[in-house]
Amino acid sequence: MTVEVGTEIPPWIMEAVDAQRMKTMAAILRDPYPIHWDRTETANIGLGERTVNQGPLNLSYIANMLMAWQGPACVRRLQVKFTTPVFDDDSVTARGVVTAVDDVDGERRATCEIRLDRDGEDVVVGMAVVAVSSQEGA
Amino acid sequence: MAAMGEVNADVDEAEMLALVGHRFPGGTRRIEHWENWLLTDCTGFDQLPDELVHPIALFHVPIQGCGMSIAELFALGRVEGAGSVGLDGYDWEYFRPLREDIEYRVEGQVTEVERLQTPSGKPFDRFVFVIEMYEGDDLAARVTNHWRLRRAAR
Repeated sequence: MTVEVGTEIPPWIMEAVDAQRMKTMAAILRDPYPIHWDRTETANIGLGERTVNQGPLNLSYIANMLMAWQGPACVRRLQVKFTTPVFDDDSVTARGVVTAVDDVDGERRATCEIRLDRDGEDVVVGMAVVAVSSQEGA
Repeated sequence: MAAMGEVNADVDEAEMLALVGHRFPGGTRRIEHWENWLLTDCTGFDQLPDELVHPIALFHVPIQGCGMSIAELFALGRVEGAGSVGLDGYDWEYFRPLREDIEYRVEGQVTEVERLQTPSGKPFDRFVFVIEMYEGDDLAARVTNHWRLRRAAR
């Protein structure tokens, strides 16, 4: 498959964001922010009784999409904005489309518009730069 | 100090602006296999080959590597408790794939602080910091993180 402007990246789906994974992530990050592991705290600030997924985890689903597409060492840049929180048990889908293809530092790279959506609502938006394999970029 | 569940108390704007240029202690950081395994597992992706580190490690590894913690960044930004911090965005650049068991040298600083208001008039500080990770003398990765530190209205 040739990578060219307009190429759609196969979506990557997280069927249900897992509160237990948020707790493990909080421990790895040493993140003291309680909205990621204590539902009482999210309720106290009016966000309902589900924990809020860490921003890095939201971005990870986009990274997973890119790695599933072009391999585990393909990511060169991730530039994103977080538009709205994602909660435990949400289903989210990472999507992307190629907006440019260039040769940089001896490799072919695709610039991609990326997003994470929940029921059609964008929760993360941005751009990624990905090294594309020579077979695909040829 | 604000109690958990409260938005932090008002913070003087000049004190915040004075943080621009503040350098973090700096240090080194090695990503161990167990940490990368758990991190990758949290993302729902298959484990990566060749000791490659999941790209999402660029959140906590640079922060910890430069001698800081998320809690210490909160303290530096004078925020505490649920609802006090928002995540605006990241710009993460990978100049080479990150791998387990490599000792990265890490340094960083606060680069921008700006007092702004939401459309509804609620004050917040846009807080930006940049951290670089080096493998030997070569730049391996650079992160630019944009946080929103919410302030109490006057």
